[in-house]
Amino acid sequence: MSGVSTKEIKNRIRSMESTKQITKAMEMVAASKLRRAQIQALNARPYFEILYDTIQDIVRSDRSFSSPYLKERAGNRTVFLVIAGDRGLAGGYNSNILKLVQSQVREPDTAILPIGKKAVDFFRSKGFPILTDQYAEAAAMGVGDCFSVAKQLCQSFRGGEYDRICLAYTRFVSVLSQEPAAMQLLPLVKPEDRPERRNARCDTVYEGDAEEVFAAIVPEYLGGILYGALCESRASEQAARRAAMDSATQNADEMIADLSLKFNRARQAAITQEITEIVAGS
Amino acid sequence: MTPFQLRIVTPDGLIYDGPAEELLVRTSGGDAAILARHIDYVAPLGMGQAVVVSGGRRRTAACMGGMLSVQGGAVTLIPTTFEWAEDIDAERAERSRQRADRILQDKDASQTDLQLAQARLHRALVRKSVASQK
Repeated sequence: MSGVSTKEIKNRIRSMESTKQITKAMEMVAASKLRRAQIQALNARPYFEILYDTIQDIVRSDRSFSSPYLKERAGNRTVFLVIAGDRGLAGGYNSNILKLVQSQVREPDTAILPIGKKAVDFFRSKGFPILTDQYAEAAAMGVGDCFSVAKQLCQSFRGGEYDRICLAYTRFVSVLSQEPAAMQLLPLVKPEDRPERRNARCDTVYEGDAEEVFAAIVPEYLGGILYGALCESRASEQAARRAAMDSATQNADEMIADLSLKFNRARQAAITQEITEIVAGS
Repeated sequence: MTPFQLRIVTPDGLIYDGPAEELLVRTSGGDAAILARHIDYVAPLGMGQAVVVSGGRRRTAACMGGMLSVQGGAVTLIPTTFEWAEDIDAERAERSRQRADRILQDKDASQTDLQLAQARLHRALVRKSVASQK
């Protein structure tokens, strides 16, 4: 029992206590931020879903024209929008999304548009071409930023600079579960799950030229989807951080209990030894 | 009048989900009124006043950007911003208008600044005109 001195154990307990205080504080901060982010994500969710469904409906019912946004291209120049966090200590949040993107990206000429500091750092260290690191702070991004990113991407997509635009974000399933997800934004893919209404006589009427309508709508769609994904990701980050810090606090508690036991035993052993010595010496 | 299913959704949340008798919005091609049993229709939205008539009650709002879609009789309005007349902060719109005016007067302003200011001015004017009609 005298292998570890009581003083050493006491020091470790003290350092564990202060670590626990930090993780506890971080958990509470994340919990309060989560509440806000969750409300925002839940508010944006119908927008995200309805926007997506509506565009899918339009794409499905379209047969009359071929917008550049609808055509699959042979090339492989892809832009990957990646939404990750600004800070670490969020459990698997950052590594999950970055791993997912890495597994999906095969061509070396894939350009990355990282959002969030962790994504910027990761892809820079891996040597991917980075479009811009203007959005290194995911927390500061607003609706306006999303729409301006979308506008720029649409422009370069139409200009033929890129053949595909994909997005990776983390879906906020619940407070306890978040899923990294990747989707293709452009070109718009025709969904095959639902049967086409072949016998539908009436074609959709477009305000003005159909092509023009698409040119106006697609940047809006992209911006909206990006904003929705950003809200989901932000809520996921806080939820992941809260869970990670909660378990860290629990671990600290366990270790403190364990060390306290050891400490008491060591102290008891020391006292016993002292008594033995006194008794033997008398 | 026959009601139809109307949904209005913005990034800030689902604003309206229910039956309505008439929807009037400013599309890129001008004002359009949607009644029940409208043909499938898609239009990008401009900036302007929107009117929703439901249960005989008429509500006006400032509606900007986004798109309008009618698919199989269901109407979906997906604007970037949508504010009911009673929720508009007229003072804020006035301040925004003045700020935009100043930038537009500024001879050194860059092209992007001018574009942003023009859009801001437009938004402020729409908000003000909608707010003044409540």
